[in-house]
Amino acid sequence: MRKIEINPITRLEGHGKITIFLDDNGNVDEAFFQVVELRGYERFLVGMPIEEVPRTVSTICGVCRGIHFTASMKAMDEIYGVKPTPTARKLRELFLNAHFVEDHAVVLYALGLPDFVVGPDASPAERNIVGLVQKVGVELGKEVLRKRACAVKIFEMLGGKPIHPVTALPGGWAKRLTEEERQEIEKLSEQLVELGKLTLQIFDDVILKNEKYMELVTGDMYKVVVNYMGTVDDQGRVAYYDGTQRVVDTNGNEIATFTGKGYLDYIAERVLPWSYLKMPYLKQIGWKGIVDGEGTSLYSVGPLARLNAANGMDTPLAQEAYEKMYETLKAKPVHQVLAYHWARAIELLNAAEKCLQLAKDPEITSPDTRVEVGEATGEGVGIVEAPRGTLIHHYKTDKKGIVKEANLIVATTHNKGPINLAIRKAAKHFIKEGKVDEAILNHVEMAFRPYDLCLACATHAVTKGTIPFQIDIYTPKGELYQSLKNF
Amino acid sequence: MKKTCLVVGIGNPLLRDDKLGIQVVETLNNQQVPVETTILYTVGFELIDKILGYEKVIIIDAAKFGKLPGTILELRLEDIFTTHALINSHAITLGTTLKTGYLIFPEEMPRKLKIILVEAEDTTHFGKECSPAVRQAIEKVVERIKEDLRSM
Repeated sequence: MRKIEINPITRLEGHGKITIFLDDNGNVDEAFFQVVELRGYERFLVGMPIEEVPRTVSTICGVCRGIHFTASMKAMDEIYGVKPTPTARKLRELFLNAHFVEDHAVVLYALGLPDFVVGPDASPAERNIVGLVQKVGVELGKEVLRKRACAVKIFEMLGGKPIHPVTALPGGWAKRLTEEERQEIEKLSEQLVELGKLTLQIFDDVILKNEKYMELVTGDMYKVVVNYMGTVDDQGRVAYYDGTQRVVDTNGNEIATFTGKGYLDYIAERVLPWSYLKMPYLKQIGWKGIVDGEGTSLYSVGPLARLNAANGMDTPLAQEAYEKMYETLKAKPVHQVLAYHWARAIELLNAAEKCLQLAKDPEITSPDTRVEVGEATGEGVGIVEAPRGTLIHHYKTDKKGIVKEANLIVATTHNKGPINLAIRKAAKHFIKEGKVDEAILNHVEMAFRPYDLCLACATHAVTKGTIPFQIDIYTPKGELYQSLKNF
Repeated sequence: MKKTCLVVGIGNPLLRDDKLGIQVVETLNNQQVPVETTILYTVGFELIDKILGYEKVIIIDAAKFGKLPGTILELRLEDIFTTHALINSHAITLGTTLKTGYLIFPEEMPRKLKIILVEAEDTTHFGKECSPAVRQAIEKVVERIKEDLRSM
């Protein structure tokens, strides 16, 4: 049996590796996605006052800094038994939605769209953000980056400090918004809505109108039939900051809802002999193995999962786009992994519209942004939707609010089963008779890119300008047959 | 009219030597060196946002080139840019980010760009102190930047 390894090497908390085993005929026998996740931050947080935690966890990931911040802030509310004032909640939501726009834009333009705009068969030297800009034109690239920067501006205005937010308070928000700032945020949010519309237009022009690409989007090689989890509001619409976690089965029927600590009753984790990262599954269905199809206990999270688990979107333009996606793909839930990018574009517009709604809300400038806090209750769970999926922060503290235990479940952990399935399916489809080249491997990578893996990015030291990526192919006897490296 | 000079320190403040870029910026600020500074936790499009409109930018980051810890490297953009397919959105490299900036905003990106990388010894353990070799390198980098500013 030959072995192919795809090795995106990262440091600290994560190290991801893809191993593909070929049979004697050179076809794919099995494929595994492995993550070595060190729970470094969880240990580091023990002994820390809970008030310090949001600022600290915002360094877990330079990309998702505001998301860990928000999840831990919500857990802190629960630890002090307080709810944020209506204004504080709106400020937090505005902060989170601006972060969504920024993050979704980066994922789409730097990661998802190059596969389509530049082309899935193009060499890696062209199939990237630079190649994308060369293809669509510098002016459009400029417009996208400038509009995306508006989201960062909002994020920084609310977060109190450039780049790293410092405004978390139990039941509150440390910085109130002035009328002048509100007006500026309203103008910036208008730009974000334009970015959302533009992104869906590009998606439409580049992918929906291209028959070859639509074959990939709707084909079985990128189809993974699992359950879906996402947060919904009281009307069942997609929610990011707060709501109820809803799980739907492979046919779209609601099979579970929970909030807060209730996650422990619904999510179980399976220890696997070949990976350090446990694989979550739905407790009520029970472990069925790494299989998809009706009856599987695996579930996925993230943009497509959220749309699948919800009844719709809470803003008008995003709702239109939501309806169009399900009409076009003629199914709900949609099991096509590449539709994650489509769902991401819809959410970008949704988050932008929400920013604008919140910026226009007169209550957002109220000085009422904090509450009195008492003694710590000792336990708190904060669940938010991160751009790449449901994020759970669970803390236990003493009466002074000093952290005794911390448990963090990130989106890539929830998605571990579906990512494995997606890679296996794509590998089986594209790798035949031992023929492996760059274009073929890119088609395999396209199966996991939609999930936007967050293996860990707490450090990012420059490694000769590239993220090391290695593919090793072994003979049936385990001898190295071919090795492809980008470093 | 472009602003004169910006020093950007990149790194995670809690992971020992990964902090070195931030440490350089903090030292410059503590010594009240008259230069604008900013810090970033990671490389991404925020870097472009920060450096647009400056005549000169000095970027300091940790590196893992397999050299002796504390080794200081002054590089040009061409030295660190190699195009590649992205693995995830968390993996946009310094080279790709800067190249994208120059492609899209050729007029507004800094005309003079200096990238100073310091070989890190430990970026995997928690701690706010850099390793001794890196601490020494930080002092040298600060002196180099001050010298650089004097000659401007």
